[in-house]
Amino acid sequence: MDEREDVPKDFIKLKSEKLSVDEVSELVTSPCCGAVSLFIGTTRNNFEGKKVIRLEYEAYTSMAEMEIKKICRDVRRKWPSVKHIAMHHRLGVVPITEASVIIAVSSPHRAESLEAVTHCINTLKAFVPIWKKVIHKHWCTYKQHVCHRVLVNIH
Amino acid sequence: LLNVPSPCPPQVTVLYFARSAELVGLRSESVCVPQRITSLQLWEEIVKIHPRLAVIRDQVVFAVRQEYVLLGDQLLVLQTGDEVAIIPPISGG
Repeated sequence: MDEREDVPKDFIKLKSEKLSVDEVSELVTSPCCGAVSLFIGTTRNNFEGKKVIRLEYEAYTSMAEMEIKKICRDVRRKWPSVKHIAMHHRLGVVPITEASVIIAVSSPHRAESLEAVTHCINTLKAFVPIWKKVIHKHWCTYKQHVCHRVLVNIH
Repeated sequence: LLNVPSPCPPQVTVLYFARSAELVGLRSESVCVPQRITSLQLWEEIVKIHPRLAVIRDQVVFAVRQEYVLLGDQLLVLQTGDEVAIIPPISGG
């Protein structure tokens, strides 16, 4: 790879197709980086003690992409050695055990990418306008926390 | 909402998501609102049109031009074409 082309990049995608761990980790792989850290969020078969059939995700897509871009900017400010960031989120139906979100970050050394990935998923959950609907056998409900995360986080 | 003879200014696009979309039965609509209005007043205008939204009043925030706004005293200056989204509790990831 021509190293002049290896400028830091953010790879942001919201899509209804199945997510690929290989694809996301290859996006951030870089010759100058010795570390790629990954987070994969997968659909669990239970929620509040009840069996889950599947999850369904929806997003305020344009704003979600903007908020994810803000997360990437924030990551680069806090961890300047981070090279590439990929954040892919699935929309629509996500069956049990499949990935709803994959985040990958590369950096020369492991500490920064590990910390940055944690920051990415925590901030995504706090600020990005995406909703999951939990489908049980006989009913469905939007997942709801005790407090609206945005209310808590933007004081 | 406004008694003016010519195109009701401004006309904003209200977007509904998650529970709010279920309650209203819509994903989006155009609504005429005063140009200067607090976020709480804006909520009340929307609830006048869709009273079923009242049940989630304590659980929502707005996103106005894609910036989060709490329901309260914050003064909004709105223009035709602005997006105002009802944001129920988010649960991404």
